[in-house]
This record gives sequence, C-alpha cells and structure tokens, in this order.
Amino acid sequence: MKRFVVGVDIGGTFTDVVALDRESGQVQVSKVPSTPRDLSAGVLAALGGVVPSLSDASFFVHGTTVGLNAFLERRGARVALITTVGFRDVYELGRGNRSDMYNLHYHKPRRLVRRRDVFEVHERIRHDGSVTQPLDLDRLDRIMDQIEAGGYDSVAVSLLHAYANPEHELEIERGLRRRFPNLAISVSHEAAREWREYERTSTVVMNAYIAPVIESYLASLEEGLSAQGMTELVHIMQSNGGVMTARAAKRRAVHTIMSGPVGGAIGGAALMRQLDHPNLLCVDMGGTSFDMSLIVGGTPELRTQVELQELPLLVSMVGIHTIGAGGGSIAWLEAGSLRVGPISAGAQPGPACYPRGGIEPTVTDANLFLGRIDPHYFLGGHMVLDPEASRAALRRVAAPLGLSETELAEGICRIVNANMAGGIWEITIGKGIDPRDFYLVAFGGGGPMHAAFIAEELGMSTVVVPHHPGAFSAWGMLHSDIRHDLVNPFYRLMEKTSAADISRGFAELEAEGAGVLTAEQVPAEQMSFIRTADMRYVGQEHVLQIPMPPEINALGLAQMPAAFHEAHHRRHGHSNPKERVEFVNLRLAAMGQLPKPQASRYKRTHERAPVPVATRAVIFGGSPVETPIYLRKELQMRDGFVGPAIIEEEGCTTVVPPGWQGWLDDYTNIFLRRTEREAEERTR
Amino acid sequence: MNIDPITTEIIRNALISAANEMNASLMRSAYSPVIYEAKDYSVALFNEKAELLGQAAGLPLFLGNLEEAVKVTTAKYGLDGYQEGDVYILNDSYLTGTHLGDLTILSPVFFRGTLVGFTATRAHWMDVGAKDPVLPVDSTEIFQEGLRLGPTRVFARGEPVEDVVDIILRNSRLPQTSLGDMNAQIAACRTGERRFQSALERFGVEGVNAAVEAIFEQSERLDREAMARIPDGEYFATGCLDNDGQSDESVWTQVRVLVADDRMTIDLTGSSPQVRGSVNCGYAQTISACRVAFKMLVTPEAPVTGGSFRGLHVVVPEGSIYAAREPAACQFYFTPLGLLIDLVVQALSPAIPDQVTAAHYGDSMMLYLIGRNWFHLDAHMGGWGASATADGESALINATNGDLRNFPVELMEHKFPIEFRRYGLIPDSGGPGKHRGGLGTIREIELRDDGAVLSLWFERWKTPAWGLFGGKAGARPQVMLHVPGEPEKTLLKVSQRPCPRASVTSARSGGGGGYGPAVQRDPQWVREDLIDGYVTCEGALRDYGVVFEPGGFQVDCDATGRQRSERINGKTVPM
Repeated sequence: MKRFVVGVDIGGTFTDVVALDRESGQVQVSKVPSTPRDLSAGVLAALGGVVPSLSDASFFVHGTTVGLNAFLERRGARVALITTVGFRDVYELGRGNRSDMYNLHYHKPRRLVRRRDVFEVHERIRHDGSVTQPLDLDRLDRIMDQIEAGGYDSVAVSLLHAYANPEHELEIERGLRRRFPNLAISVSHEAAREWREYERTSTVVMNAYIAPVIESYLASLEEGLSAQGMTELVHIMQSNGGVMTARAAKRRAVHTIMSGPVGGAIGGAALMRQLDHPNLLCVDMGGTSFDMSLIVGGTPELRTQVELQELPLLVSMVGIHTIGAGGGSIAWLEAGSLRVGPISAGAQPGPACYPRGGIEPTVTDANLFLGRIDPHYFLGGHMVLDPEASRAALRRVAAPLGLSETELAEGICRIVNANMAGGIWEITIGKGIDPRDFYLVAFGGGGPMHAAFIAEELGMSTVVVPHHPGAFSAWGMLHSDIRHDLVNPFYRLMEKTSAADISRGFAELEAEGAGVLTAEQVPAEQMSFIRTADMRYVGQEHVLQIPMPPEINALGLAQMPAAFHEAHHRRHGHSNPKERVEFVNLRLAAMGQLPKPQASRYKRTHERAPVPVATRAVIFGGSPVETPIYLRKELQMRDGFVGPAIIEEEGCTTVVPPGWQGWLDDYTNIFLRRTEREAEERTR
Repeated sequence: MNIDPITTEIIRNALISAANEMNASLMRSAYSPVIYEAKDYSVALFNEKAELLGQAAGLPLFLGNLEEAVKVTTAKYGLDGYQEGDVYILNDSYLTGTHLGDLTILSPVFFRGTLVGFTATRAHWMDVGAKDPVLPVDSTEIFQEGLRLGPTRVFARGEPVEDVVDIILRNSRLPQTSLGDMNAQIAACRTGERRFQSALERFGVEGVNAAVEAIFEQSERLDREAMARIPDGEYFATGCLDNDGQSDESVWTQVRVLVADDRMTIDLTGSSPQVRGSVNCGYAQTISACRVAFKMLVTPEAPVTGGSFRGLHVVVPEGSIYAAREPAACQFYFTPLGLLIDLVVQALSPAIPDQVTAAHYGDSMMLYLIGRNWFHLDAHMGGWGASATADGESALINATNGDLRNFPVELMEHKFPIEFRRYGLIPDSGGPGKHRGGLGTIREIELRDDGAVLSLWFERWKTPAWGLFGGKAGARPQVMLHVPGEPEKTLLKVSQRPCPRASVTSARSGGGGGYGPAVQRDPQWVREDLIDGYVTCEGALRDYGVVFEPGGFQVDCDATGRQRSERINGKTVPM
C-alpha cells in the first residue's frame, strides 16, 4: 500500500492540498496561490510541500472551478447545435418566463450558442419512442459540411424525445465521429436522459461548451502528475458529491461544473462520521456570499435540477443555497434607513480597512472595530488592516442614523446574522426541518466569527469549527466515493405499474451503472447501487424522490402510495390519500467504494490548561470586555475555554461570545455550546 | 414606541422572507399546472388593519391586490368574528377584481389570543364549474363563469366546514385538483403565520408595529423620491382592444397621467363603458395594474409594503370596463389590463424616454383544445419592445403574466393527443427601429384525436405593439386553422369550434415595437440579424433600407446609402 492519499481543491484564488500519511495518520495541509494560466503548476507546487514523491500517492482526487469559470467568463468552446427540424429555436426560446417581472427591460440570459450555429436535421421521434420520420442522412452530410466550414470545436445534438429513443442521436454521433475524430461530441440523451427539451438541450449545450476546456485541462494535469511519478488514476470531484476518473470526466464534463463549490458539503459529510451526529448544517461565509448546505441523516441533500445564471441543468448536484451576505457586504442608507448587503465591496476595493481605497463600511469593518479581528493577523498576517479607516467609514453611516460607531458596528453584525439565520430558516423550517436537530458547521473566512450568533438566532445548541477550516473542502474530497447518477424515464400511473416493470427499469440502469464503474476500474465487490423514484400526484409538476428497495415485489409496490402520501405530508404539510400517484423517473446512483483514510485521534501531550497568547478589548453588548486570545495551533484535544474568547488561526477567527463555552474534541475540531445557565434562561 | 434602525431592518427582512416562504410553500405543493408552471398566484401578509407587511406575486398583475379581499371579509365578519384557526375563501370578481377562477384564501393570525393580522393567498384553479370546461371564451354575464363566492368561512377553529367544502368541490369538474390546491393555499397561509408569530415572539407586538410604521415610511419615501425625478406634466395615451369577443366593436382605453411634484395620478376617464363580452374588470384589479405600470417605471427594485403607492392616485369611472358592475362578464379581465400597462408606459415616454420601452405584443394569446377526456390550454410568448439602449427581447411571456413558463413540447405530446410540427421565432416580426423590437413566435399543432373543440383568444390585431420615437410596430398576431378537406381559415377569437383529427393550428404571436427610426440602425447590426435569421434579406431592404451583395452577407454600402437617403427625403424607392 502506498503511503499518501491526496485531496486538492483548486479555487479561483488559492489551491489547497490535504495529504493524509497512512503510516503516521498525520494530515498535512498546504495552500498556494492558484495559477490560472496553467493550473497544474499550482497543484504541483502545493503538492511539493507535503508529498515527497507522487509515486507514493495511492489516490488522487481534486475539485476544480475550471469548467465553471469557463462558463462564467464565457470562454468555452465554439459549439454547433443539431436539432430536430421545426425546433431550431428550442434553446433560444427557453421557457419564455420573465423572472424579474417588474423589469420592463428584462433580457434572457446570454446563451452559449447563437442562432446561426443551430442546424436542423430532418427526423422525428414520438413520445413513445416510435419513429415517424427516419433520419435524413443526406441532410446530415450537408450539416457536417457546414460544421467543417464553420470551424467549430464542439458539437451538441439534441433531438425531440431522444430520452425515449436515442437511436437517431447515436446515428448522428457515429457519423460525426467518423468524419471529425477530434471534435468533442455531446448527445442529449447521454447528458441528461430526461424529458423537457429546453432543459435537456441546455444541459447538453453546457456539456459541449466546457468539454474541450475540461479535456485539455485534464490532459495537462495528468501529464504533469505522471512526469512527477504519479501512476494511479486521477479522480475529479463531481457536482453530485461523488468522484469520477479523469477519463470519465472527458465525456461527462457538465458533471464537473460545481466540482469546486460542493467540496464544503462533502467535507461536512465526512465530518459527520467523526462527530457521530447525522444532521449538519454547513455554512461557508466568504467575502460576498454565504453558502449553506444540509447533511440530513448522514447524506448531503441532492437536487436533480439546478440553474446557473438562469440556464437550467438536469444534473444531480449537492444543494448549495446562497444568499448575498459576506465579510464584504456593505452597510448603506436607503430612504434614510440602514441596509446591509447584498451589495459587496468584493476584493476590490474591499472593506474600508483594506489598504485598497474602499470607503464604505462593511461587515469586516464592523468586526475589526469591535475587536473581533486582529488587524495584524488577518489572513495569517498577509495583510495589515487599518482600524481607523473602519472607524471613519462607520461614522459616515452612523451619524445620519443618530447612532454611535459602536451601535452601528454591532447593528451591522446583528443584521447580517439575522439575514444568514433567515436564509437557514427558509431551507430548514420552511421545508419542515427543525434546525435545532442540527449542528452548525462553520468554515470559510467569516463563518466561525458569526456562527455562535447565528446559532443563537435559531435556537441551535452546538457549533463546530472543523480542523483546518481553510482546507475543509480538500479534506472532504478524500472521503468521497465514485458516484454516477443515472435516470430512466418511467412515466406511468402507479396503479397500472407492475413490480416486474420496475425491476426491469432498475435492471437496465444497473447494467448501465456497472458498465460505467467497470470502465473506471471499480471491482464488482466494491459496487453498490442506490435506487430512488420520482413520484407525484397525478397533475402535479414537482416530484418527490422516494427511496426504493433493492428488490421490489407486489407487496412492496402496494405500500408505495402510503410512503408517498407520508413523504408529501412531511414535506408540504398536507397529503391527499384519495388522489392517484404516478411515477416520473427511476433514478440510480451507481457507487464505487473507494478506500477511506482512517482519521486518527489525537493525544494530549501535556495536562496544562490552555494559555491565551494575549488579551484584547472586544465589544460585546455595547461595552468592551477584556477577552483572551488563543492560537489554535497551540490548543490540544479536550482543551476547554469559556466565552468571551477568541481563537485565531491562519485565515480564520472563531468568536466565542459571552454565554458560550468551547472545547476541542478528540479530532481537534472546535465545539461551541451555550453554557447551561444561558440555555436555562432561554427556555424560561 | 421608538424603535432603532437596526431592529427595524431585521424585522423588514423577516417579513420579506416570510412572504417568500409562503410563496415557496404554495408553488411546491399546488396541483394545478396553472399555479406551479404559470405562477398564477400571489401571497401576502397583513396587519389587522389590512395593511401589507410583505408580499410575493407569481403574476405581476397580482401586485398588492389581496388587501381588498381582507377588507371585504372583515367588513362581513367583523374583527370580533375571527377565531384562531379560521380560514376564509372568496372569488367574487367585483370584490376581488379578477375572474372567478382565482380563489382567494385568507386566514387570521393570532398571537397570545389577540388578532394581529392575516395571511392571504390567491391562486388560479383549473375549473370552477363555468358553463364550458376550464373557462368560457364567450361569456356575457358572470353567472356563466362558475361558482361565485363572497367571503365564506371554510375552516372554523381549525376544522373544515364540511358543507362549504362540499359545495365548492361539487361545483368543479376537477374536485380532487381543487381540493389539492385549496390545501396548498391553506398550508402557505400557515407557513406565513408561523414566521410572523416568531417575529412577534422575539420583538413583541409593539416592537413589530413600530418597525412596520418605519418600514411604511421608507417605502413611501422611496416612491416619492423616484416620482419627484419625473418631469411634472400631463401625459396622454389612447388605445383599443380588437373587440369584446361578442361584436366587432373596438373597446377603448384612455389614459391620462398627471405628474405633480412627488405625486402621480392615473386617470382612466373616457375608457369604454362595460361591455357585453368578458373584457371587464373589477376595480381592485385595475388598481393593481396601475401599480404594476408605476412599479415598472418608478421603483422596480423596492419591495412592496403598506407604505407603497401612497403617492399614486387612480381615477376609474364607475361602470366602465375598469370598474365593472354585476352582471358584467369578467373572464378576460386581464386583456384590457395588459393594454392599460402598455399605455401608461407610452404616455410617460416623452417625460422619461430612457426608462420606457416600445410596446410589447400585449396579451396572453390563449389557445384551448378541449377533448373528450382531456384539455390543453396554452399562452403564447411574443416580442417585447425596444428601448433607448437595446433591442427588444424575443419570445417572452406578456406583461401581465410575468414568470409564466411555456409547457415543454415533450410533456404536452405525452399528455395530450397532439403533435407539434414547428415551434420557433418568426423572422421580420420584430418592429423595425434603430433598436429592433423582439420577435414573435409560431407554434404549429396537429390534432391526433376525434371529437375535440378549439377555442381561441388572440388580441391586439388592431393595436399591435407600437414603436416609439420613429420606431415601427411589431407584426400582428394571427392563427391559421387547417381542417382536412376545407380551405384554411384565419382566426383570432373563436369559441368551441369542432376540430376533427388531423386538423392543424398554426398560431403566431406578435412582435415588439421598435425604438427610433429604422434607417438609423447600423447596417452591421442588420447584417448580424440577417446571419442569425432574425430578419430576411427582403425584410432588411423593406424595413431598414439595407442592401446586401447577391448571395452573401456583405452589406452593399452604396446601394444602402441611396436607399436610406431617399427614404429620409420622403421618396419611396422601387424595389
């Protein structure tokens, strides 16, 4: 067995590496600036710090924003789109809705393919899969001439009802491959085997748009890694929280689109096993946004459709909910009243206390003014902050409101905390979930500074700040499995469905899933399959995903409606047992189990109580309190402290407010809990 | 009680969030596609005085339109008549403003035994027992349009009033769907109630009330600041609907907008008296439409509260199509409202030329196919108007419908015996202008079943989307019906026309209006439009005076210059 397993999170700004040494059980972390021109250079640089030789690595997984950024910056491939005759405009028409409905000047999102790049081929398949018009091969030849002349680097094919019968798409794909062996080719039934032509087309176009970018990026990374002695398969994080091999990613590019951002949720899932608590609410507070994800009953919440800049994608994705609240959120005046965010000072010019010319007060300025941030230890001391600039910025907004700087600074924090708690309310209580059953897991630059306050708002008792909160995503990736989400359209009334139909539907999916996993060198004994079905009341649009047993018989089928009614009641607060239920899709998650690193428990090296490195005046409830400051690297497991206290580490500050206490668990995660007295007072 | 600006802001965000949560709850559990797809609903929270605390609308037209429903219910039952756990339902067009298909459900909110406010929802049900399935397109009085309910208690102290529920369900062709939608609306009311109570728990009734006062003042101030920026003056616009569906006579709307300092009056005096067909509207909904136009032009970003629109005064002549009286038919109440919104924008165009757009295609353009055991209804997307800075957007839903999504072809072919032959943009349908109007759409459907009937409600043929500042109008709407063995017919409105198997409907929606003279459009932009097929070679010459080299995409600069200078000099050039 080789010595290291390695997780890498390639972000827009930093590349994080986490390497677990299987011999010593030690986790090593390294952070270097990302290298946008040649991302693999940054990866190799970061690796050099922690892994002596890549020939010692047995498993390599990474998450990347390369696809997402190509999309956001519209730097993807030049794509030609082939559609069914009469339906050239499916992609451009979209669903015709105006999401910004009071905006007289509303425009649809900028598309990835222009109308001039869409070609109609003569063919027609009906909803039941029957062919009413065969594929016109002569016409296809002429389209290929145009594609050749047009100099495209990627082709997407999306035909009506291809999910029901993919034969014409496959025939076109064969034709294209024969003639253009080097072009990236994406077909809709493979990108998303679901009905709804606009959503499926949008998915396959996105796949075509980023596939060449992902492919060349992976080729260069693999080359760089193998030059350093790497002999194992390179794995990449998918939006669904599973991983796949680089080879699979070249065909399934669209599944890497949220490869980077989902890392936090996956870190939560891995942390859940250490904490031995099934329900976690993971929050990441950055400069401009506050991202929330839920781990319920041990698994991250998954969605089967998402939108990016209003463009829909039919891919499984870990649910990440975002609101515009972050360290850079600006406090401003409108109609004589105070607002905080969603406008952000971003990184440029940044908060007023950054040496970059910003003059508007932000959440970070408020925290600095209140003494919660050390001006000399921000980003581990990489930037020195100016408290006077914060004070001046706060004063400018406080004066017209008749507030003192202190009142405003605490007020800004209260408002942003309430907004973040409101966001959590919507995704928990709003969906019938009680946040008090959850631990609040906080990471990212600002999360641990605000977490206890957010928990107060929601009545949550426990906050966890994981070890290495700055490289939490990369750490989480080490704990993921190979996963492919497959769909089989299965539209029929439940009462007219037999158990044999369902078994057959799943058997097809399982064969497909096993094939994909085999191609990724997963041995049969490490494969497993999770079955669910999309169901709804006849006439509803939104479906509920209901778990399905591995084997289904008539008896099991007879119990399905009751399971659905119950799930509907739980989710929506009402159900209608007299109404008929229908199936929409069968879904299968094909999992390939990967070896998991064993987290080792730490040991206490000495029995001294923790010693603060300093004390500092921090404002809580309007008045300064002399507060002990601890360095996290000097703390050891089972060290405890009582609020007010501040724990500093590189890139992250944890605030323990008065009325809270904290300790480090056996894995050196920080736990925060309200003290008994406080908890009692609240319940009274 | 004095309240600090920080607590006020926290309460303000909590109320907005409460409305969003009600919205999500209703959307996710409703049965009728017209609710979850077409977003034909709205939700709101009120204090006990029926002043708006927070709202979310699926349809823009439903902006702030629920307060009347709360007021008339209180007028009937009295504030003392409400009990904890009660739910009330109503749909009377003259009270709520819309058609009978829109059911308003509201529930009083109590806190520690005291009435503190209301949560309310309105949603469109698929069938309320009108004379024809779904809805009639040729009604002439409200009694043909379905079950009509004044304020009615449907839950008493948390228990359903079974007789009332029974009456409602017996009067629907789709009782299970109606029940599902009713439950979804009640669940949404409960969601809002919970969030509202949690705010009261934390800040106290007095604290919330004080914050609400401050929030209302903020809204009013935002409105007034924005109105003060519009030049004072009196502005006019006039337009007509093709007809009321019963005769061929135009139905007129006259708009006078008076802007004085930080106040605005929209006066509809001179608009047609109520008509026999169903393009009449209740007063409450006319107010909402004027608020939509106001919001689009004045404060599109600001959340709506009980303090919004205090500076907006609306004058509506009693007995006109905009304040209809019994027994006026109200089924297509939204058709005149779409025109009204466009006309307010047009009226203000000289005052705020950079904020307005040319007109949009204007109405929902409804097609109904009703089979023996199925029915399909569909709104059509069309072109929107160009502005001082941009071309109009193509293929968007009309102003009164907002976030409505079209139904996927694949879904419809699954559900109904119809097959689509074509669905796309119509070249040259955008109104020519320096900035071009958006394009209309064409949708061709073949019927594959016997015994179906077709109803159509297409409007704005007489008043297609007009241009502004020299821009031209967009293309008109039109539906072609081809019945096997018969000559093709051109239609706009029709009721229950039998269509045998293999009949084909080809529905075209209109384009949006152009902005600025078409001869000022950069020939290179016309060239881009030609390459993308938004205009044809003939259209480029006819509408823009741009000539292309034969068989290619190169602008013939000399010929274009000649064409354009002669047009500017007022001569027509032989083509």
